[in-house]
Amino acid sequence: MQRSNDTDVLVIGAGPTGAAMSKLLSDHGIKVICLEQGDWLNVMDHPHFYDGWELERMRGWRWEPNNRQFPEDYPTSGQMPQMMMGVGGSTLHYAAAWPRFKPVDFRKGTEHGLEGTIDWPISFEELEPYMNLNDAEIGISRLVGDPSAPLAPEGWGPVNKGHKIGNKLAAGFDRLGWHWWPSTNAVLTRDKGSRLACNDCGNCLAGCPRGSIASADITYWPKALANGVDLRTHARVEQVTMKDGLASGAVYIDRLTGARHEVKARIVVMCCNAVGTPRLLLMSDQNGRGDGLANSGGMVGRHMMFHAWAYEDFWFDEPLEGFKGPEPAVIYCQEFYHTDVSRGFVNGFSLQVGTALGAAQSAMGTNTGHVAPWGAGHRQFFNDHFARHALIYVQAEDLPVASNRVKLDHDLTDTDGLPAAHVHWRMHDNDRRMVEWGQKRAREVAEAAGGMTDHKSSGVCDVNGTGPGAHLMGTCRMGNSPADSVTNKFNQTWDIPNLFIADGSALTTGGSVSPTNMIQALTVRCADYIRRRHSDILSQRKTPSNADAPAL
Amino acid sequence: MPTKADFTSKPAIGGYRPPISLTERQRRVLDAFADEIVPPGGGFPAPSEVGVAGFVARYVAPDGQPAKWFPFFAQAEFTGWLDGFDDRFLTAGADHRITVIQGIEARDPDWFGRIRNMVYSAYYSTPEVVKAINRELVAGRDYRLTPLPYGYSDRMEDWDQSLLARVKGSYTRTGDVVRVDLKGMV
Repeated sequence: MQRSNDTDVLVIGAGPTGAAMSKLLSDHGIKVICLEQGDWLNVMDHPHFYDGWELERMRGWRWEPNNRQFPEDYPTSGQMPQMMMGVGGSTLHYAAAWPRFKPVDFRKGTEHGLEGTIDWPISFEELEPYMNLNDAEIGISRLVGDPSAPLAPEGWGPVNKGHKIGNKLAAGFDRLGWHWWPSTNAVLTRDKGSRLACNDCGNCLAGCPRGSIASADITYWPKALANGVDLRTHARVEQVTMKDGLASGAVYIDRLTGARHEVKARIVVMCCNAVGTPRLLLMSDQNGRGDGLANSGGMVGRHMMFHAWAYEDFWFDEPLEGFKGPEPAVIYCQEFYHTDVSRGFVNGFSLQVGTALGAAQSAMGTNTGHVAPWGAGHRQFFNDHFARHALIYVQAEDLPVASNRVKLDHDLTDTDGLPAAHVHWRMHDNDRRMVEWGQKRAREVAEAAGGMTDHKSSGVCDVNGTGPGAHLMGTCRMGNSPADSVTNKFNQTWDIPNLFIADGSALTTGGSVSPTNMIQALTVRCADYIRRRHSDILSQRKTPSNADAPAL
Repeated sequence: MPTKADFTSKPAIGGYRPPISLTERQRRVLDAFADEIVPPGGGFPAPSEVGVAGFVARYVAPDGQPAKWFPFFAQAEFTGWLDGFDDRFLTAGADHRITVIQGIEARDPDWFGRIRNMVYSAYYSTPEVVKAINRELVAGRDYRLTPLPYGYSDRMEDWDQSLLARVKGSYTRTGDVVRVDLKGMV
């Protein structure tokens, strides 16, 4: 049967936001086509059952498209972003740490306004109901009662156990009198439908063949498909199309046949992440000036945030068995989350406690290149380090600097000849000071825990370390006017009322926690708006201001 | 920087199939090399006893396939490297082999780092070595060869409730956010 190429809403990208958008709109009978350049991940593509499971993390399970070089990936130049193409997007391959932003994160313009920082056009309280809806949909594990944040509801299951690492580092935080709390994770601790509860296998960052981790291919997508969403894989979008001042759909290339197809839609929603969305908007230039779509203010691609970062590996004189349990997030400490200018910087950071992998990674240097010596000293080093390790990483809010941006690189193309994304990100001096200060606090925790035998740091990202955090945020941010942002408070682009941006691009600031929770909650809110105000949106020829936009 | 021609395939889990074949001499060289990288002892076997060479060979890109994933070894390059070791490497004592390996490390640290890490990966991914870890290391008593299917839920300790009971924290509410005095930054 011939597929229809006409739809109510076209969603571009089938990752965590495209999945949520497709499911939530189709719940209410809205016809959705979703285009995804990647494919489905097969459960046997995960390395957990193979002897070389640790080595595979250095091959096909690399985070960076430039290192992975899969057919569905597109290359990047400049700073290497971490992202995954496919149904589920980067949630196929993520930490699943599920903290929430704090109220102050939505008011950073008021607090300091440095380097282009603006207030969000919405508050924590406006987004909170959507966090709750999203949490319930995907299934999370949480210990209720963290005194450092507004009260959040119970999760689908209890919090993951902390095991020896959790209790060891918790004792360190406790001795210092600092805040700590067991990490909330988008990980099932009891079965949910066909998804199995986590069995603490410890290899989270190569995805989860049990379905315990809430990747979008197994949370939102099965329901979206049951609703009749037309999900087209291997569909690489070349251009968002326009007609009479409105988005009219998109042209995509079928990567299997090379044929071009056009989908016509009344509303277009970009869900391609904070690199892919500005790339596609810039590729969708209509007037020959090269400035792309939704970019009359020159804001598309700007204010890129990653989180400023440092890894600190610590080893202790007792077994901690870090090969067990959820890998990236055991504890978070938010003692230093809020701005205290006496420290010499604005904003704040989280200290996150994580685990290690297995024996091979222990020999190869854990997270910081602390490689076991070869030869005579190898056995003693390995025996003293393996499974006696705890990771603390400094995850710091980076300022949304306007010159940190995504542009097109016409000298580098993907396999279809489309320009690559060039990612420029330089760490602001404020953020460097913050990470350096945070590294000292991480060491204090390890020392307070007692029995530390060795320590190695990754250095400070962008200074003497590796790249920044993995989180892609802010390149088409929502704001208060066309002068300071790309979208209004409902993710609606200022220039084109039926073109929405519902992914990490829309984040106004990045907080100092893993952002997928906030990104997906923001999308749930956007979907609610599109559903409730569908007819209003279709009648608009000009995007309303935040004050004039029809209410939710 | 990769070019678009690189974005064409995915690596098979578990390495290339069929793997490259090493000659008997190439295998003996790789075994001798690996045995100096991770010397046996303390209850741990030698790499040559646990099939390290075969594991490494699985991850060498066969002729005609791009060596674009770790360890980035192409068959001709890798086997040529093994063929470059003279017979003395096989017949002389450990002191000579260590001197040769130190020379490789000094001349080409990138290559050396990759082959060293492949030896580490291979060695610590074998059932015999995992058994040695279980037997010899108190921190690894219940470590398994692969994360799944079993996992470790039956071996996990719960949170220390006495520590949790003492946690303190606070946050700034939306209406309480005020301008900070940037002059206060040191």
